[in-house]
Amino acid sequence: MTDQTEAGEILSAPLIIEYPFKRTTGPIIGAFLTGLREQVLVGSKAEDGRVIVPPAEFDPVSGNDLTELVEVGPEGVIATWAWVTAPHAKHPLDDPFAWVLVTLDGADTPMLGALKADGIDAVSTGARVKPVWAEEREGHIDDIAHWVLVDDADEGDRA
Amino acid sequence: MGKERVAVVGIGQTKHEATRGDVSVAGLLREAAGRALADAEMTWSDVDAVVIGKAPDFFEGVMMPELFLADALGCTGKPMFRVHTAGSVGGSTAIVASQLISAGIHERVLTVAFEKQSESEAMWALSLPIPFTPPLHAGAGGYFAPHVRSYIRRSKAPDHIGMLVALKDRQNGLKNPYAHLHEPDITFDSIKESMMLWDPIRYAETCPSSDGACALVLGSEKVADEAAAQGRQPAWIQGTAMRSEPTLSAERDTVLPLGGALCAADVYKQAGITNPRKDVDAVEMYVPFSWFEPMWLENLGFAEPGEGWKMTEAGATALDGDLPVNMSGGVLCTNPIGASGMLRFGEAAMQVRGTAGDHQVDSVRKAVGHAYGGGSQFFAMWVVGKDKP
Repeated sequence: MTDQTEAGEILSAPLIIEYPFKRTTGPIIGAFLTGLREQVLVGSKAEDGRVIVPPAEFDPVSGNDLTELVEVGPEGVIATWAWVTAPHAKHPLDDPFAWVLVTLDGADTPMLGALKADGIDAVSTGARVKPVWAEEREGHIDDIAHWVLVDDADEGDRA
Repeated sequence: MGKERVAVVGIGQTKHEATRGDVSVAGLLREAAGRALADAEMTWSDVDAVVIGKAPDFFEGVMMPELFLADALGCTGKPMFRVHTAGSVGGSTAIVASQLISAGIHERVLTVAFEKQSESEAMWALSLPIPFTPPLHAGAGGYFAPHVRSYIRRSKAPDHIGMLVALKDRQNGLKNPYAHLHEPDITFDSIKESMMLWDPIRYAETCPSSDGACALVLGSEKVADEAAAQGRQPAWIQGTAMRSEPTLSAERDTVLPLGGALCAADVYKQAGITNPRKDVDAVEMYVPFSWFEPMWLENLGFAEPGEGWKMTEAGATALDGDLPVNMSGGVLCTNPIGASGMLRFGEAAMQVRGTAGDHQVDSVRKAVGHAYGGGSQFFAMWVVGKDKP
């Protein structure tokens, strides 16, 4: 049996793997991402009539293909939110902000975003928000730089 | 095999291509699964459970793909299982799915296997530099070429056997609309002149890298009887077997792996096969490099050790031979790795059901599906037949 005290002398070596992968988005998620580039938000219409945003490729209840895309937003309302008092380096905004679930106009499900606001007291469930688009867009969720309250739009309009 | 009878009542596959840029991973699976459900005259809601399989997660870089595919495969509120046995996974996934019915747990099980090789580089995913281990190979071909050389030395097979297999399988693939490679101009000479990749394996004797998926709907005896009553012949599962062995072991015979031979003996016993060459009407076996046809003919008991190449040379394994092998064009025409085993199992079932189209062999009563994976260390087989076991 190996003595526990010798365990530190057993050889080990790092195995670091760097490797290229890519993703094919398909016709539904692909349409959503392409829409972001054009500043258009789309959802997919489920069999029960609900509009799902971001769009689902298949019905969450029946499993059947969903093919009907519907334009939604760009404004919506806050379904719920959480204030981030001390953002860290990887957060989308440097100043304190709110993670928000936004139900876009015409949508039945909320999507996640980062809301730039003056403070925790400025944010409330049910408040109207709109996206602030990134200046350079490439078909990525980051094409929405962040969200702002509609009333604050004038000062928060720039990415 | 458990107590309850099981049959294949629906089969679907994608059009296989080098890059299916038109569909997501989920969309690829759904193309195959949707076709299998349509073939079985079922919808997503008819399915009791779903069993999926794919080769190593590193191939697409999605760890545990079953997590994000649950909703795509209609698993909401249902049991879902994922199987992994390297390249044989398509076969072992179908077997695990069949066991959920033979054990009396479910009536209708959907099983799907896939690979989207275009999302990565499988050859290098198979060639990771493991610390303290000398780098011995590049890709599967580099690993298997020494096994082939050993086979040639032991059997004294002439060099053209591998090229004959490649020519046969690529010509069979021309009859299969789903096959990835369609090479109408291929000739023995064009194969011979193709680049030597891993001596003695030439480029044209090697499988392609494919995007694709295969799906089967398995049903209980009651479900299969209903299908039969409506004129849809079930492929009754007459036997299933899996065997494993370690990758690296000095005493292992990689030309005639014991695991493969034991797997074949087990499945034949279940299916009442005493003389495989005579009792089996058609075989789909996992041949990613041409020389594996004669090697597996021997490992699976269709020929004595050292004699398999003679069957290939005599044309016995051609579509019009006495034991057609790889009617679909096989792995040499289509290789979405995780799906490749299930494509073999599915082709065997199609032959029995009489739905193989232009690559249908006349009056197939019993067919064998075979898959292997890892370093020739995982084996999965089933026997399907027109008759109830």
